[in-house]
Amino acid sequence: MVDKDNTVVPAAEATGLSRREFVTGIGGTGVGLVLGGLLVKGFMLPDEVYAIPASEGYLLVDTKKCAGCESCMLACSLVHYGRENTSLARIQITQDPFGTFPQDLQMDQCRQCPYPACVDACPTGAMHADAATGARMVDERKCIGCERCVNACPFTPSRVQWNHEDKHAQKCDLCKDTPYWNHEGGADGMQACVAICPMKAISFTKEIPAQSEQGYQVNLRDAHWGHIGFPTDDAGKIVPQPAPAPAPAAK
Amino acid sequence: MATGGYVGKILYVNLTDGRIEEIPTSKYEQWGGGHGMGSAVFFDLVKDKTIDGFDPENVVTFMTSPFSGTLTPSASGRTEVQGIGVQSYPVGWFTRANFGGRFSAELKYAGWDGIAIQGKAEKPVWINIVNGEVSIEDAVGIWGLNTHEAQQKIWSIVGGDEAENGEWRGMSTGRDSGRTTQRPAVVTIGVAGENLNRNAMLLHDSGNSAGQGGFGGVLGSKNLKAVSVVGTGSVPVADPAALMDLRMELQAGFAYNVEEPVLEAPMADFPFYGIITRSPGASTVMWKGKDHPNRPQGCIGCFRACRRRWENGVANGDGCAESTYWMMGTQDENMAATHLLDQLGLNHYDAKNYSYLLALYKMGILGPGMQIDTKLPFENYKSYAFIEAYTKAIANREDIGADLAEGFARAAEKWGRYEEDTTSGILALPNWGFSEHYDPRIEVEWSYGSILGDRDINEHGLNTHVHWAPQVQAMVKQAPLVPAEQLVNLIAEATGLEPEGWDYSPDGIYADAKIAAVAWHRHYSRFWIQSMGMCDTAWPMLVNQVSEDHKGATPEYEPRLFEAVTGTVLSYEDSLELGRKIWNLDKAIWVLQGRHRDQEVHTGYVYSVPTTAPYFLPAKVDGVWDYSTCVGRTLDREKWEGVKTRFFELEGWDPATGWPTRATLEALDLSAVADELDAAGKLGA
Repeated sequence: MVDKDNTVVPAAEATGLSRREFVTGIGGTGVGLVLGGLLVKGFMLPDEVYAIPASEGYLLVDTKKCAGCESCMLACSLVHYGRENTSLARIQITQDPFGTFPQDLQMDQCRQCPYPACVDACPTGAMHADAATGARMVDERKCIGCERCVNACPFTPSRVQWNHEDKHAQKCDLCKDTPYWNHEGGADGMQACVAICPMKAISFTKEIPAQSEQGYQVNLRDAHWGHIGFPTDDAGKIVPQPAPAPAPAAK
Repeated sequence: MATGGYVGKILYVNLTDGRIEEIPTSKYEQWGGGHGMGSAVFFDLVKDKTIDGFDPENVVTFMTSPFSGTLTPSASGRTEVQGIGVQSYPVGWFTRANFGGRFSAELKYAGWDGIAIQGKAEKPVWINIVNGEVSIEDAVGIWGLNTHEAQQKIWSIVGGDEAENGEWRGMSTGRDSGRTTQRPAVVTIGVAGENLNRNAMLLHDSGNSAGQGGFGGVLGSKNLKAVSVVGTGSVPVADPAALMDLRMELQAGFAYNVEEPVLEAPMADFPFYGIITRSPGASTVMWKGKDHPNRPQGCIGCFRACRRRWENGVANGDGCAESTYWMMGTQDENMAATHLLDQLGLNHYDAKNYSYLLALYKMGILGPGMQIDTKLPFENYKSYAFIEAYTKAIANREDIGADLAEGFARAAEKWGRYEEDTTSGILALPNWGFSEHYDPRIEVEWSYGSILGDRDINEHGLNTHVHWAPQVQAMVKQAPLVPAEQLVNLIAEATGLEPEGWDYSPDGIYADAKIAAVAWHRHYSRFWIQSMGMCDTAWPMLVNQVSEDHKGATPEYEPRLFEAVTGTVLSYEDSLELGRKIWNLDKAIWVLQGRHRDQEVHTGYVYSVPTTAPYFLPAKVDGVWDYSTCVGRTLDREKWEGVKTRFFELEGWDPATGWPTRATLEALDLSAVADELDAAGKLGA
């Protein structure tokens, strides 16, 4: 994971702990497993740092379950912009068709970082935490196109993108602003990628998940998954051989 | 005029003089997309339709559809390839092939609805498409590479290689040209194509191949190694909310629910049963997950993900018959053999006829110093060393591979064995030199459709329900989920035809209802499968094997998807008419190439060698529907001639020749096509 941000972030002088340092630690790779099972509000931090409300929702992905169909990307672009463009998808699937499972594929979703570097980096307040849901999102009217948010994201690829067609930054808003969808989105509604993923490799949680350098520690694969010949263990090494399923009733 | 689905222009590249031009898509929008557009573009660009497939004037088209790159389920990722082929025998018909993956989507994002390639480059080249920028690049360092290496090399040139994995990459100097995390989508030939092999295929990513037609050899003859495309633009969708709703509805009603499956296979790790349940990874029928952990893998936008990507990275994305290429070794060896085919760029469906060579070897006809002299290690034919040497020999034109590179039909002809061995059936090439796929004596939509067309039709939407579902359930000793009578009634309801259209009894296969069903199959497929790029393993969704009422999604959903994406209303009936129009245009091209009804006859074994293995299909015997084992069946030569006559009459073609008439063509707004046939003296009476 590469820290691409060289901008200066105001430090929390009183503690000597800069928000920048904290953000890098949380969102990036500075610590191995930083938030196991804990809610963000449980952290004891100086007021100067604890200024951004936590997101009320997070996307969980199981990269070992993903089929690489990129339907999530198509759904994301469609509900937000009414058109199809993988470059405008706020979740990205990157894969090597010749790769070896499970290293062949990454699911790159926004983590809704507790201390979001993208929000921190924005000079105009365009990148902000939504008052209602806490989702880190862009007020497009305020975006001046400086791309500091794009560069500040500690992940690769950046979870904040420059929308080159509409000329503003964009990032996952948990589907709060989806003008082209007949369903209510957002932290209390549905998320298009979750709804569309045919492998159910993406899920939504209100609790901040545990994460490591490889991302969230998530296993969404159950016995049904094993039955059709796919591994269900965390490492993706073991295909279970369960007892035969009951035969369907003859007609 | 559509308000969505199309991105506005078709790319024309002439490799002889280096011309790169744009054709407005609007000129061809009336054809829908894909195959229809490809046939029409070919018809306009190729003035002399009698040229050979290796002639530089031959045009190869790569066409997308309005659905490409969208969320339309199992319809987003397929690219239709057309041109005069070099594989079919005895004539290289104007033909088609098709591959999945994400090339079609990437082409749309780059702003192109299709590509037409004509001419022959002086030296090996590849075509580089980055959004609107198109260049013909020198293929030094790429020519000679296998299909995997060639793609990786191009990624290292365009962007997206190992070092850049997952990075956002800009398209040019300015940020407003957009960025992508995706690797360029590359379709390439292997050494088989470079060596003008008539069975050479095109490969994209891993396991996405355009197999039939010998388009690998055709591109090889043009000195064209690969086409690469990457784009950052948008595909407009007329009614995005409706498309999203339709996708969710179809997914809820017709996709396999991985968390709460309605029905599961009777044993674990048994992909074959996925034909019934539509479970992910179902196409890798011969390979098990227990030895090699893997993930399901789907083409872009697919909700089925029928293939797999493995822990050893071998044969990623290969499925269906490709997984049956070699079955005599360990799973590792079997997968390696398929992997090798892919890398060399060879079509499995011809190469698999090594079983015929083994027969000749056992008969003492083929071997060292024999009539067909070969040093290939037939004495160790059960070893991987054999299949490896054999496969490489074809790709490299070595040993008897020099003959087999011309295809098994032409090789057998050269050896003086074609008539005898296709009559006895030890060389089972029922139509136009293509290998037997489904039994031509019984499952006749397939064999009639193939011989009345140009290739093995390879359309599984109907076949899944009439044949595979009862066959797989017989394999596991289950009673059919959908009884035969209910099945044919459901299909009749979905197609608007009579239930007797799906009667495979000895009389049923010659009945008028069957002829109407064959015509429906041609017209439906020409439009929805080949022109709209809907995957044939998913569409038409005639029956839902696992739901309570078993009702399929066809014909309700196809027109709704078309309207949501394009903004234009197209009734199911009109879509079939458009399919019929495209089918007539294709037929006209074949007639210009010399087609006559006298050629439309299967090889001898189809009429003389009875079937022996149980092959389940619905049949109505003494007024009662059941799934029949169909054993002991042949096709009757005289009755087939009668079927042809009635089929031509139904299509409005001259029954004496099979040629379209002016009246039929003009009623389809194809006057110019009628004029060209007239000028050639080939208009039906």
